[in-house]
Amino acid sequence: MMASSAPSSAPRAVKKMDWLRACPPYAPGTYVREEDIRGEKVTFIEDRPDLRYSWTAGQAISRFLNGLKEGKIYGVKCNKCRRIMVPPRVFCELCYKPIDEWVELKDTGTVLTFSISYVGPDAEPLPEPVIPAVIEVDGASPGMGILHILGEVKPEDVYIGMRVKAVWKDEKEREGAITDIKYWKPLEMRR
Amino acid sequence: MMEKTTDPTKLRHWEGKIEAYWVYTSGKAGDYFFKRLKEEGKFTAAKCRKCGKVYFPPRIYCERDFEETEFIDVSGEGEVRSFTIARLDPYERELPKPQIYALIHIYGTDGSLIHLLGEVEPENVKIGMKVRPVLKPKEEREGRITDILYFKPA
Repeated sequence: MMASSAPSSAPRAVKKMDWLRACPPYAPGTYVREEDIRGEKVTFIEDRPDLRYSWTAGQAISRFLNGLKEGKIYGVKCNKCRRIMVPPRVFCELCYKPIDEWVELKDTGTVLTFSISYVGPDAEPLPEPVIPAVIEVDGASPGMGILHILGEVKPEDVYIGMRVKAVWKDEKEREGAITDIKYWKPLEMRR
Repeated sequence: MMEKTTDPTKLRHWEGKIEAYWVYTSGKAGDYFFKRLKEEGKFTAAKCRKCGKVYFPPRIYCERDFEETEFIDVSGEGEVRSFTIARLDPYERELPKPQIYALIHIYGTDGSLIHLLGEVEPENVKIGMKVRPVLKPKEEREGRITDILYFKPA
């Protein structure tokens, strides 16, 4: 049987102040001021943790970077799918097996895609735009390329399919970094 | 083609350091707890005015019914609920003597505390063992959890 009148525990209209009282987490807190801590008026703990880390490029990229120092671009080959991959990796993600061999690639290639950037990494305006591009490296499978920048070319002259060649730093300046290639320059110009 | 390695320094690697500094205040109830521990060597718990649950470490309100709590004194004695023996320090260096970390249920409360056990050999620690706190002398206390040196068998 339904009760005709509301039981005494039925919710009543709750005023905002009731909620504030009922829920201490929402109650105004006590601010801790700088002098409370410096004057040791409140108890506290402090720490300056020693957070050192070592980040490794991994086996494949380490060998790739060391190759750049010698002016060589290394890729890897999987004998099952027969792909030659760059950047190199130790595991073929399609065949789900370790790669089989290391291959030296050429330092020429084709522009797969590119962009023109008028801002730098911190979104600062650049005096001259940079042209990041994915370069399909000769000797690697179609679509296999590395992201780098183009040089000795005006943004308006770049096109997909443009043949390019790596411009290396002087051998003694190379340090085994992707920047050992200064940029890729066109081998041809479309009229 | 794959050589197993666990040493990143054998490969091309970069080293870095993250700068971090922080201050963590004890809060209202924690502040009261540490100040009483420092000044009077007393243990504080917090009892809900409505349901009677006793929080240890103390809290300013009951998390079950949002009622305010009142601070009460407890002896600090309790019993071992769980324990582990550490043979290495946080930097994985061998400790001269193993340390015994225990979860200690504090009598008269519904809460527990993780702290060290002392004056007992690792092989003699038992779950359910009654223990009592050993504090630093008053002049050395700083209002920190390390003001309790360890808990020893009662």
